[in-house]
This record gives sequence, C-alpha cells and structure tokens, in this order.
Amino acid sequence: MKLLQACGVTKVYGGLQALTDVDLTVMPGESVAVIGPNGAGKSTFLNVLTGLTPPTTGRVLFDGTDVTKLATHKRVRLGIGRTFQHGRLFSRMSVLENVMTAAETCRRGGDGAPRETAMRVLERMGLAAQAAEAVGSLSYGQRRMVEMCRVLAGKPRVLLLDEPAAGLNSGEVEQLVERLAALREEHSVAVVLIEHNMGMVMRFAERILVLNFGSTIAEGTPEEIQSDPAVLTAYLGEGYSHADL
Amino acid sequence: MATRRSPLLLAAAILAVGLALSVVLSEYNLRLLNLSVITAIAVIGFNFAFGLAGLISLGHAAFVGMSAYTVAILTTATGWSPWAAIPMAVAGTVLFSALIGYPLLRLKGHYLALATLGLNVSFFIITANWLSLTGGTNGIPGIPQLRLHGYFISGERYFLRFGLVFLAAVAAAALAFQRSRHGRAMIAARDDEIAAAMSGIDVTRVRVAAFALSAACAAVAGALFAEHVRFIAPEDFGYVHSITYLAMLIVGGEGSVVGAILGAVLLTFLPEWLRFLGNAYLAFFAAMMLAILIFLPRGLVSLFRRRAPRRIAEGRS
Repeated sequence: MKLLQACGVTKVYGGLQALTDVDLTVMPGESVAVIGPNGAGKSTFLNVLTGLTPPTTGRVLFDGTDVTKLATHKRVRLGIGRTFQHGRLFSRMSVLENVMTAAETCRRGGDGAPRETAMRVLERMGLAAQAAEAVGSLSYGQRRMVEMCRVLAGKPRVLLLDEPAAGLNSGEVEQLVERLAALREEHSVAVVLIEHNMGMVMRFAERILVLNFGSTIAEGTPEEIQSDPAVLTAYLGEGYSHADL
Repeated sequence: MATRRSPLLLAAAILAVGLALSVVLSEYNLRLLNLSVITAIAVIGFNFAFGLAGLISLGHAAFVGMSAYTVAILTTATGWSPWAAIPMAVAGTVLFSALIGYPLLRLKGHYLALATLGLNVSFFIITANWLSLTGGTNGIPGIPQLRLHGYFISGERYFLRFGLVFLAAVAAAALAFQRSRHGRAMIAARDDEIAAAMSGIDVTRVRVAAFALSAACAAVAGALFAEHVRFIAPEDFGYVHSITYLAMLIVGGEGSVVGAILGAVLLTFLPEWLRFLGNAYLAFFAAMMLAILIFLPRGLVSLFRRRAPRRIAEGRS
C-alpha cells in the first residue's frame, strides 16, 4: 500500500517553472531523501505535499485518497507531519505547550490526554527537563528538536523534514539519525528528508530523489545516485566521473 | 493545581473588591466604576481578538453599539422586556460578527485594521442617519430599567453589584478559555500561522471564533451600557472608543484578562483624576502610552508577575 504519492506535480510562478512533472511514491516506513542544489524546488515540493502551496497541475495522494485540494490542517490530522527549514515555534508558549498544540488537534480515539502525549514525546526526544521553559531560552538545536516533538505529538504517518540537520553539531546529527531510525522501526513512520548534509543522506535514506531546476534528474539508491552522471554534472559541473558526495 | 482554580479565584477577587468599593465609594465614583466594569467586559472581549489571536480590529465599539442599539430598539419601540432583549442583542451581534468575520478576516495586519475601522465608521453613519430606527444623533432615550424580583436595578450602587456579576463571570470564562486548547490554538495562529496549520489548527476558523468571541463580550458590554445609561447616541460607539479599547488593553497588558480589567479601570478613572490638566491631558496620555510601550511592553500586569512566568506548566501536571 502506497502511503504518500505525488503524481506529475508542476508548479509555475509567473514565468518561473518551480517544479516540472515531479513524481514521488513513499511506502509506509520508508526513508526517502530529496536532494538537489539550492533553488532546485525541494522546499516548494514539500509545500505542495503539505498543502501550503497548491500545485499548478498534478495530484497528491495520501493513503489512497486524493488530498490535492485538502487544507493543510486536515492533511496534518490525516498524518502528514512536517518541520521547517529554520524551525517554526510558537514563541509565546512554553516547550510543553508548543508540543501540546499538535497533540490536541490530532487526538484520535484511544490516545491519552494531550498533556501526557506531549510529555511522552518530550521524554523520548530528551527534552523533558525543558518542558516548562520558554522556547526563547533554548539553543538552536533544542528549538529544532521541539519542533520535531510537536510534529511527532500529532502522530504522523509520514514525516517531511526540511533540512533537519542544518545548524546541528555532529553529535546532534548522530542523535537525530538514531531517533528517526527508532521511529521508523517502532511505528513504521515514513520519512521524506530534504538535506544538504550528504553524510546524513547517504546513511539514512533508502532511496534518493534528485531535483535540479524543478525537474527530477535521477532517482535511486544512495549507491546509484553517487555514480549517476547527471547528478555529478548538476553538483560539480561537466567532466567529473566520481565524487565523494 | 493553583492555575486550575484561578478563574474562580479571579471571579471571587473581582466580586470582593467590587463589593467593598460599592460600599465605600461616592455616587460619582460609583458611576465611573460602573462604566469601568462595563468597559472591562468589552476590553476582555477585545483581548480575544487582539491579545490572543493577534487581530488588529478597530471596530470593536461597533459591536458594543450594535448590541446597545438592539436592546434600546427592542425595549422602546417594540416593548420587549430587557431580559429578553439582552440575549437577543448578544446573539444578533455574535451572528453578525461571524458573518462579517469570514470575508474581513481574509485581510491581515494594517488592512484588517483599516477594514474594521471602516466598519466602525459605517456603523456611526448608519446610526446617525437612520432616523426612523435609531433617532439619528438625538439617540434613543428612555430605555426601561432591568427588574429583578419586582425591584428595579436602579441607582449606581445596585447596578454596580449587578454589573460585577457579569464581569466576574466573563473574566472567569475568558481566563479558563485562554488556558484551554482553544486559547492555545488562538495564540498559535497569532505566533505563526503556517506552523499553526502544520500543527493541525484550522487558522481561519480559529480567527473567526476569536472575532466572534470578542464580539460576544462587546455585546454583553453594550447591553449593560444601554441598561446603565438608559440613553444611547451614536457618539457613544464611535471609532475613538475602539482605539480607546486598544489603548486600555496595551496599558493593562495584552494577552491578559487581568490586564484588560486593569487597563479599562485605569483609563476610565485617569481622565477624571487629571481633569485639572485640561487639554494637556492628551499630551500626558501620549507620554504615558509611550512610556508603557517602551518600559512595560507587556503592560501593567507585568509589574505583578513573578520573575519566572514560565513555571505554570509544572504546577499543573
């Protein structure tokens, strides 16, 4: 059963073709990375998947139903979670309250109280001690983790992460990879990752989609992508046969 | 556990302080306190729109006026009992605010401020010119008094006790709401609209709800105003009053129910205390607003808050 599917997604801004006919299929529990140079359309693609940007043409399917016209908050409640490139938190709330918002809107039958759900997620991600703190007092890495916790509190079935490793030190990246792997293992949460940290991409992703100027130029396993001539050209220019991506 | 009980504590504190004052104050001060109580209810409402959901609405006085006029017209022209007219006025105002909220709230920031200001100006023009319905600038006199158990709620002292019950109830409900998931959703929609949607919050619905709730409180205030003054005219609900509500909330502390009450009481009494300044009061007022925005951006309530305001979450777990 396919979990998330983008079919022929095209987005045109005036004269700019931001995305051209992009396809992606994500299975439950799968990890997919979307890579490409700056401006390749990666974030726009996530915006289309989450409903923040309507596609010009093309469709988005989740769990077999067409969600192309569905509002963002409804997609979230269905199980599409997403973090942002620079982290977006509710600055007037404590850490716990931030995480509770999603637990409250995405509560399903059999779930515990939102406060307990939020606390559990914070404990799991190692932020329980900061639960009562104002988000403004946290470090950048912690703030990004709080955002991740908020998404997780909504019990997503697919997690769309926009450069989660940006600004984290290598220890924090390591921790992040481990926690994401555990999530996939235990709850078969699928992960779609936009990332420039190639070490993380190669270690974490089972499959990679490469975008350039809004078009798919390659798709395959990490090994295939590392030796794909089109990818090497896009990243390094003509004349390279191998790169340590 | 303390914060679970605090809406009731707030209501009790309002009743206690208000009742004590109702015994000791002079008739003149009681009248001002009555106006403060009514205004405080309106400002608590404004806090839903501005303090929580971040909607810069400058048409709040129009909702106060709409309800006051509904009460006045129903009780004078059609002879309804005030007890029937008040809920009707509140319901009608809330319905109107929700209907107009859907198109209006597509606007943001300054555009919303201008559109709501326009709403207030339109309200003034209509009430000042629809002579057959509103009596134009002459207003509507002779609004009948409320009667309870056969006794008229007349005189400033008795009206104050009556008004305090409304203020206590509205304040407690507002505080409980603010700390509920719905209040959190409003704060989230203001802090970051996109992150709110991405947390499963229906931002449009939350905004309209905040707007309608603010109108509901405004309507309660308007109905009480009509029953207190018993004579209403268009200038009671001009846009200047909307801006005053905004000033009151900022002075008291935006996002805070206690702040809304403090601001409403202070800015109702202050012009009277400083009457000797004459027109220089406006200069004083401007200087005070600037000082508060610079030194107390979170309003007077921030003076009373403990240094670490973010300890509440622990106490409630």
